[in-house]
Amino acid sequence: MTLAAVSDAGPLIHLAEIDALELLAAFDTLLIPETVYAEVETGGIPDGLSDRSYELVDAAARPVPSTELDAGERAALAVATDYDVTFLTDDLAAREAASEAGVDVHGSIGIIALGYHRGMLHREQAASLMHALQQETSLFVTRAIVERGIRQLDESHRTDD
Amino acid sequence: MAAEISDRVRAIAEARGLPESEVFERALERGLEDLWDDLVLAQYLDGDLDREDAIDRVGRTKVERAEREREIVEEDVDWGLNA
Repeated sequence: MTLAAVSDAGPLIHLAEIDALELLAAFDTLLIPETVYAEVETGGIPDGLSDRSYELVDAAARPVPSTELDAGERAALAVATDYDVTFLTDDLAAREAASEAGVDVHGSIGIIALGYHRGMLHREQAASLMHALQQETSLFVTRAIVERGIRQLDESHRTDD
Repeated sequence: MAAEISDRVRAIAEARGLPESEVFERALERGLEDLWDDLVLAQYLDGDLDREDAIDRVGRTKVERAEREREIVEEDVDWGLNA
């Protein structure tokens, strides 16, 4: 199955914080709006990002009207709509706007599960990254929720057996 | 890590004009509150505590936020495992 996605700054920053940007290789096509790249660049481009294959795109021509979203989130959502690709974001408001617009939307935890499913991570590595996402990044997620996500991985593993 | 904690306590105490002992006390209270919230929300999400009791202990906002997070994580993991 071919996977194409556009990311806002959240997953790029959060995956960089846990040293897991290589998981973006699970996507056959990764688009990054120029606005998002500029946002990430402000904090310093993460080391691993230059090793990844991605395409910079300009979303300025079709802004998505939403006062709740920042410029990068609006640009990424516009690209997701235009290109009909998955929108990667860790922002709750952006996620809700995408769902309302009928756009397929997922976040960093989904990317870790995808990496596990595609054999890029062992179970322990995936669980460790999920914990790190909760403990070491600015992503707001309750520990109990992360534990549930890890149990889902385990259940899928048992189902596969 | 211990040196980093000492440095931060000293910096906060100086900036806020507080004794270091009070900075430690506030840090303990704040940390304990986070651990308490984690415990209550874990018990609720695991079905060991009913919703109204969870709301009484940590507030409606945190319970509703945890419910939304649960939906998102379940959706995301399910997607990742099937994409």
